[in-house]
Amino acid sequence: MLECYRRSFGDAYQEVVRIIRERDQSLTGRPAKSTASIAEKLLRESTRLSQVQDIAGCRIVVTDVMEQERVVASLRADFPSPSVIDRREKPSHGYRAVHIVAEISGKPVEIQVRTSLQHMWANLSEKCSDVLDPTIKYGGGPVEWRNFLGKISKSVEAYEEFEKKHSEAVTAHEVFEKSHSKAVTAHEVFEKSHSKAVTAHEVLENAAAELLEHRLPEHKVQEIVEEMEASRLRIKDLAEKMEASRLRTENLSEKLVAQWNVNAELLDKAITWLDERKGEKQ
Amino acid sequence: MIFVIEYNRSKGNKVTILDFDDSKRREAEDARLEIELDVTRKKVDHEVVLLEAASKDALHRTHLRYFADLPGILKSARDQKERPGRREEKGSRIDSR
Repeated sequence: MLECYRRSFGDAYQEVVRIIRERDQSLTGRPAKSTASIAEKLLRESTRLSQVQDIAGCRIVVTDVMEQERVVASLRADFPSPSVIDRREKPSHGYRAVHIVAEISGKPVEIQVRTSLQHMWANLSEKCSDVLDPTIKYGGGPVEWRNFLGKISKSVEAYEEFEKKHSEAVTAHEVFEKSHSKAVTAHEVFEKSHSKAVTAHEVLENAAAELLEHRLPEHKVQEIVEEMEASRLRIKDLAEKMEASRLRTENLSEKLVAQWNVNAELLDKAITWLDERKGEKQ
Repeated sequence: MIFVIEYNRSKGNKVTILDFDDSKRREAEDARLEIELDVTRKKVDHEVVLLEAASKDALHRTHLRYFADLPGILKSARDQKERPGRREEKGSRIDSR
């Protein structure tokens, strides 16, 4: 009976996978939850089988939070009124990810979107639950592991904040670069016009003795000179803004790397700790 | 490709992995059911799951838990390629650019 129920999600699952793959998005699909996982969920959450939203599902692992945002936005647009559970805003015992539940012909299909770091954390938590204590995943288990997973989850959160800020700074810098490039082009056009005007002015000056009425008016030359000066000031201003933006990007980049190193040190400690336990067993 | 994995939860290692061509969905589902009935009969705490991925590498990336032990997961996270900045020679820390 359970098997029939699980297989009834097949068409909805296939449709969700087809739509996501059409966008060239790599994913791993799981057409049906295992019996053991379903049984555990029903017991743990005192819920009914018909209320379980992740009988069928799939998982997408992306590089960073910016890509996660893009993928989530695209999935929101692809499916009519999906439920979005943002576990970054409300982590579940340290678990961070975005889950989207799409409904096709009344059948829910859960799409998990995780960044590499969120995925690393989830793998750690699940593995700890498998081999150390099944309650770790739900906030239980030995206190040292709870603290360890909690620390890593917080570190991942902090890293994501820097990722966002860094990305914003890079975008702002690119905008300045484009503006600066446009201003330089405009300045070059002014320079050419000025050069032509000066040449014309000289030619006309030479001819002034004979044709005074054709002389290029002084105010016209002055106008061009003023435009050139304004253009020069604009370039100077943009260059200053660009420099400030560059410094900000550099500063954020340093913070981002420092945060990564916090993650790396936490992982190093955990590896050393595990190696020590292994040594003690031998 | 379709993969059927039997995973020993308490030991944290996979017992079996079968792979099927995408066109053999029905066979894969039957294989999963057969293994699941078998582990239920034997009353062992094994998880049996059917997964679909573009390749075995893609499967490893999204479901590393079935393939790596705890230090392996930590090391894989530690050696992630997506991290910012450049790596030092030994890869233990990174410097900003």
